[in-house]
This record gives sequence, C-alpha cells and structure tokens, in this order.
Amino acid sequence: MRKFKFLSLVLVAILCMTIFAGCSSSEPKSEPAPEPAEKAEEPKKDLSLTIYAGLMEDHAQAAAKEFEKETGVKTSVVRMSGGEILTRIEAEKENTKASVWYGGPADTFIAAKEKGLLEAYVSPNAAKIPEQFKDPEGYWTGIYKGYLGFVCNGKLLKEKNIEIPKTWEDLLNPALKGQIVVANPASSGTAYTLIATLVQLWDEDRAMDYLKKLDEQIRQYPKTGSAPAQMAGMGEAMVGICFMHDGIKYYEEGYTDIVLSAPEEGTGYEIGAVGIIKNAPDLEAAKIFVDWALTKEAQELGQQYGSYQFLTNPDANPPKQAEQLKDTKLIDYDMEFAGKNRARLVEKWHEVTNK
Amino acid sequence: MHFLKRQKGCKSMVVRTKLLSDFKDMKKILRDPILLTTIIFVIIILLTFIIYPLYSVLNESFVENGRFTTSSYIRIFSNRDFQNTLKNTLILGVVVGVLSTAIGFIFAYANVYLDTGLAKLFDIVSILPIVSPPFVLGLSAILLFGQQGIITKRLLGIQNANIYGFKGLVMVQVMTFFPVAYLVLKGLLLNMDPALEEASRNMGASTSKTFLKVTLPLMTPGIANAFLLVFIEAVADFANPMLIGGNYSTLATQIYLQAIGNYDMQGGSTIAVILLSLSILLFVVEKYLVEKRSYITVTGKSSRKRELITDHRIVLPIKFICLGVTIFVISFYILVPIGGLFKTWGVNFSLTLNHFKYVFNIGLKPFTDTIFLSAVATPITGILSMIIAFLIQRKKFIGRSFVEFASLLAMAVPGTVLGIGYILAYNTKPLLLTGTAAIIIIAFIMRSLPVGVRSGVAALAQIDPSIEEAAQDLGANTFQVFTSITLPLIRPAFFSGLVYSFVRSMTAVSAVIFLISARHNLLTTQIMAQADAGRFGVACAYSTILIFIVYAAVYIMNFALTKMQVGQQEII
Repeated sequence: MRKFKFLSLVLVAILCMTIFAGCSSSEPKSEPAPEPAEKAEEPKKDLSLTIYAGLMEDHAQAAAKEFEKETGVKTSVVRMSGGEILTRIEAEKENTKASVWYGGPADTFIAAKEKGLLEAYVSPNAAKIPEQFKDPEGYWTGIYKGYLGFVCNGKLLKEKNIEIPKTWEDLLNPALKGQIVVANPASSGTAYTLIATLVQLWDEDRAMDYLKKLDEQIRQYPKTGSAPAQMAGMGEAMVGICFMHDGIKYYEEGYTDIVLSAPEEGTGYEIGAVGIIKNAPDLEAAKIFVDWALTKEAQELGQQYGSYQFLTNPDANPPKQAEQLKDTKLIDYDMEFAGKNRARLVEKWHEVTNK
Repeated sequence: MHFLKRQKGCKSMVVRTKLLSDFKDMKKILRDPILLTTIIFVIIILLTFIIYPLYSVLNESFVENGRFTTSSYIRIFSNRDFQNTLKNTLILGVVVGVLSTAIGFIFAYANVYLDTGLAKLFDIVSILPIVSPPFVLGLSAILLFGQQGIITKRLLGIQNANIYGFKGLVMVQVMTFFPVAYLVLKGLLLNMDPALEEASRNMGASTSKTFLKVTLPLMTPGIANAFLLVFIEAVADFANPMLIGGNYSTLATQIYLQAIGNYDMQGGSTIAVILLSLSILLFVVEKYLVEKRSYITVTGKSSRKRELITDHRIVLPIKFICLGVTIFVISFYILVPIGGLFKTWGVNFSLTLNHFKYVFNIGLKPFTDTIFLSAVATPITGILSMIIAFLIQRKKFIGRSFVEFASLLAMAVPGTVLGIGYILAYNTKPLLLTGTAAIIIIAFIMRSLPVGVRSGVAALAQIDPSIEEAAQDLGANTFQVFTSITLPLIRPAFFSGLVYSFVRSMTAVSAVIFLISARHNLLTTQIMAQADAGRFGVACAYSTILIFIVYAAVYIMNFALTKMQVGQQEII
C-alpha cells in the first residue's frame, strides 16, 4: 500500500513539473493575445491599465478604485518603492508590463528619462502645475511635494530640557550629540536631498564643513529615508532629518510625541511625479490616467490614506495636518543640478565623514 | 629513479582506470532509460531556472553599452566603502555560522538524545524563527533592547542603549538561522543507528567519551554542512541587516542599495557576482575538506529505538541552555501577537482589536494567494530535491558535480539578485514568464531547493548503498529503488524539506518583490507595505495570522509523518 502512496506522489509531482514546464511555453502565448484585441478602437469601458505605484499601499489601491469608478478603465496596481520601480521597468523594457508609474520621487523619474524608459506626454491638465514641478518635455509631471525638515521627539527633548531645533545650526548643539538620525545618502534619496539642499543653500565647502560637524552628532545612518521619522517617533532618537510628511504620517498612526520643525534658513523639497512608461501596452488608458492624476480631486485623495504631502495642483487643498508647515521657507531647489551632481557629492560626503 | 618512474606509471594507471570506470558508469546509465530521462530533466531544469538567470546578472555586470568591460569591477574594488563591507560580511558570516551551528546542535542533541521532557517545546521554539517574516524579529529586538527598550530601559535602566550594529545583527541573525542548523542536524541524529553508541557504552566508555569519540566524529560532515548553510544564508540575508544593521553594512544590502537606491544596476550586479563567488569558494572548500570523510551508520533498519539519556549531570546543563534560548526566542515572538493588540506599538499600550479588524476588512485574498502559491511549490520542491539528492549521492554520471553545484547555488544568491535575474531572463521569448503565477512558484522552488537537497544528501550519506544495490540486483529498476527504498529511508529529511520549503515560500520577501503582479497579492509584501506606512499593529496582526497558518501546516505535515511511520511498522 505504502509503496503505492509514494509512487503516486512521485507521479503527481512529475506530472506537475511537466505541466509547469509546459506552462512556460504555452502560458505566455495565450496571455498577451487577448489584450491587443481589447485595445482595438472600442469604447472606453473596455480599456484596462496596470500601474506601478510608488505611493503607500492603501493610497495606491484607493486611487485605482476611484479612477476605475470614474472612467470605467479596469485598473490594477502593484506597489513598490521608487527605486524598485525604476529597476523593474528597466529590466522589463523589452516587454513592458505596466503603463503608468504613479508616485515616487522625481529624481527616479529623471534617471528613467535619461535611460529612455519614459514616454513624453503633456497633459492638458498640466498647464495649471507650476513650472518647477514638472518636466518641460512632459516625461513626468509633479503631483505632490514634500519638505525636508526636523521630525523631533518632543517628549524626549523636554525631559532633557533641550529646545526644539529651529535652524540648521541648532542641530550642532552639543546636547544633541548622538541623538540625531539621518538616512545614508549612499542609499537614500531623502538623505541626498539634505546634501543637495545645503550645497544650494550655502556653497559646497560650507555644506561639507557643516556635514562633517553634523556627523559627530549622528546616532546612526539608517538605509531608508523615512526611518529617521520612525525612530524619532519611537523615541530611539531625539531628532530625525527627513521629509516632514513622514513625521505627520507616524504622528497620525499614534506616535504622538512627534513635533515638527523646519529650518528657518530655508530647506529643500522633493517632488512626487506621475509618468507614462515607454512602450506602454495601454497608452490610451495611461493618458487618461495622467490627466486624472493631476486633477484636484485625485490629488486630494491621498490625505485620507496617510499621504500628507503638499499638492502641485494650485486648486487642491493641502491636508489640514500639513497646515502648520505651509509657511516653511523653501530654497530654489534645482532638480537638474541635484541629479547631475549626485555621484560626486555623495563621494565627497564619504570623504569628509569617513563613512 | 626507478621508484619514481614506477609511481608515475601507477598514477597514469589510476587515471586510466578512473576514465574506464567513468565510461562504464555512463554505459550503465544509458541502459537505464528512467535514470537517463531523470538526469536530463534535472539538468534542463537547473540550467533554465538557476544558471540562466544568474548568467543574466553576470552579463549585466560585464557589459556596458553593448561592449565587454571590467570597469565596474575596478570601480567597486577600489571603493573603500566596499572593502569595509566585504570584511564586515565575512566576520558576520563566521560569527553567526559558529553560534547558530552550536545552538542548533545543542537543540538537536537535546531533542534526539536526552530525556528532557520538553522535546515538544524545544521543537516548536526552534521552528518559530523561520515561520515569521524577518522584519518582525528586528522590530522586536528594537523594542526589547533599543533606547526605549523594555529590557534595556525599563528593566535595567540603561540610558542610550544602542541595538543597531554588529551585536544586534548577530543576535537577530543567530535567532533567525539556528533553526536551519537544527533541522539539518536533527535529521542526521534521527538517522544515526543507536547500536554504535550502545556498543561504545557496553565496552565501558562513559557517556561523554561516547559523545566525543563516536557521536561527534560521525556528525562532523553534518556540522560542517550546517555551518556552511548558515554562513551562506547569513551572508545573503537582506532583511535583518537592512533593519537593524545600523552603520554595519553587508554585501547583500549593498547590492540592493547600489542597484535600487543608487539606480546603478551594473554596480549592484558586480557586487552580486562578488558575493556569489565568495559563496562558491566556500562551497568548494567545504567539499574538499569535509566530504572526503564519509560515514555510513545505517546498514539496514536500525534495530530499535534509542534509549534516552536521563543522567542529570548531562541533562540539566543542556536543558538549562535550551530553556535560556527558548525564553529568549519566546520573549521576541510574544511581542508579535501582543503588538497586534496594542494601539500604537511602543507608545500607546492600550488594547484594541482594530488592527485585526482592518486585516479582515481588506479581505482574504493575500492569504489565499500566498497559501495557494506556496502549496503548489512545496511538493514539487520536496520531490525534486530528493531526486537530486539521490542522483548526487548514489549515481555517477557526467554532469554530476554540475547538478550538485547548481542545485545549491540558489541559496548563495540573495533574493533580490535572483529576483532581478528572473525578470532579466524571463521577460523575453521564448521564456516569457513575467507576470504569471508560474514565475513566483518557480522562484519559491529554487529558493528552497538547496536546503532540501542538502538535508537529503546528508541523510543519504549515512545510509549504506548496499540496501539499494540489493534491490537493484533483485531486479528493481531505478524508479522502484528510489520510491520503495531510498525515499522511505530518508523520509525525515524529505519531510523536513517539505516543511522548510512551505515555510520559506510563505515568508519570502526579497525574491518576489520584482515578480509580483497585480493579479497575485502576497502576504509578505502586504506586511512590508504596512510596516512601511508605520502601521506596525497591522503588520503584527498579519504576521500573527501568518505564523498560525504556517504552524497549522507544519502540524498537519508532522501528523501525516507519524501516521505513516505507524503504517510502516504494521506492515513489516
């Protein structure tokens, strides 16, 4: 009896293997076939769309649902980080799977544009978006912006009787030694924004001198950009240097010791963008989506799902949680400059900090 | 002179006889169509799903604008950051490997040899770390030992405790990987014939002498295997160094950061190739040093059950160590379900069921999808790995070392690299697989294959081939020998392979991040996304349910195993 059990088990397994080995040739053949048929000049209702989203999961899902409801385009979404999306669309460029890249920092879009991975599209709705928040050729268009600042743990600072830092210089306060966290610029775009901001605010020498002094204050350099906000929220550090909307996010999730503060000298910002992927399988639907993503309603959707950035559409109301930040002094942040000098500035940072 | 000449002649004779026997072996295989088909089938599978994607990565590291170049290697090697990272990685691998193997061995020994009365508990505890997604351990470590840690600040009153870095990383990795060593060593110990040790005892050796002179030497290949497995896994580990490594960087994280964080795919691939070479080097060293010695302990069905050691002088200290580790592990995991009940982990400790409600509001699709994909991958992995182990250990054929090498390679590859390799390789015809369920299942299989193969090989190494030869002489064909002799004999290894493969598929993160499509929603990516959004409560709720599902599956498989053993005894 037992022998038969094993025998049948092995047979089943071999069967399974031959089936999936068969799949490898038969599945793809059957799969892309229905799509072109669907696309051929039919009413909007039959359009479908796949999105790679660099937003948070809930926000991305809600946006897809809302878009589908409004336009009838069947929409599905895969969420990844900005860098992961860039890597994935590059690996997939021979056989593009998704049509829209929705959310994630503009510098990843700029890198993608340089690699020829994006399709230019100037949406009629982009006219409203201010110059500095979009690509002049339409390879990407900004949908939100986040300001760099200090996410502090108010409770810890109060316990130690330290003032909440209000300027870049305040961070060099000896009382904060070993209590500041910023991500590693070699891995995090957020941390690189800090370097690029300081270089543009002052000049390169002064910025590097400052970063060297700041290094003495740093507890650790985590790998991801939002980790400092989380660490400040949990009391693992007193100050995290990162995008302040991450601070709001953790505050809203219950880390109520968080206090936000923006440097008075001025600070840099990131832009979150939307763009169409080159050789998009559903180009028509993708254009409809980009138009939609730039509307006031679509942009205001994020604040219900934990995205507290400011919005690029001047008609859209920013999240009320971000109200306190609206007077933040911004520098004239040059995306182009930041992108071109990234490798060099990060290398220089390695040199001065010996990290 | 004369003597030297003769020796030379001898050598060439040896070479000739070796060639001759190789030739004879091949001829034998050609006469056995079942075996031949299996070998070809296995080689094709390994070439397509392991070598080809890795070749794509290698290709990426050497080709720039369509031309061959080594500039990327020169750039990476001259980078000081990289040199530190390389050193870090090696130190980490050795330390974690030694500690995990030691703890795994103590646990396996306690469970198989000692009458501790706690075998069940130790068994559960030692599977715990592999059934949970890795970031959970890291987060628990921060909560227990961080600046605001329950142990460090509340209990010990330490200010400015710092868990991030080498020490924290070693702690978390040892907890993550000692179960791997445990599974390998336990399978071996279970297969060891008690008669050998009893003979030693009967001849007057003490328990400790028996242990040192009989058990330990017999276990050496197994221990070396376990160390190798842990070393490679620790070096390829991604989630833990990412979370808790602090400034301590390792090659596996570096690959990800270079490729994903710096948008430098070529640099990332280069580091991946370097890491891969390191693991391959280790693999070769292990082969030459350890596998020369082989031990055969099962020469038939072992006569009877082992008599457990009850001597307090031996049982108590080991029990004490195991209990210590157990308490440590449990204190980490208890935070998972509890974390799912607290309002805000670390800040607001009021109780709530909201996180679990949220999980069920999102729906069951992540659960059903993950279980389905893992359940398909598990039996295929189990059978395939035993077939490969059988071929490696028992058959001689051209390409044998290739099969052995390739089947273990996937383990040395960090998940991210394998994932990148998979999209690079399977995004064009004829193997257009991206976006299908098949690619996720294949990734699952290839990721857990190495552990299955290794435990199968280790188990087979202890079984005298004469039993199989006897069956063969009596007229059984290869298929019959494999199914009715080999597989039943190595059943413990087979089942631990099944369990491991299921668990690993359910909790895989890094390999699948590039493979998921909108159609399949996996639990682990869901957990990562929730943690990313700062909803640790929800992430914990997901993890709790995931751990329960996996435990249920492990329990059912164990149940089936005991049922089958009973059946066997009845028949014989």
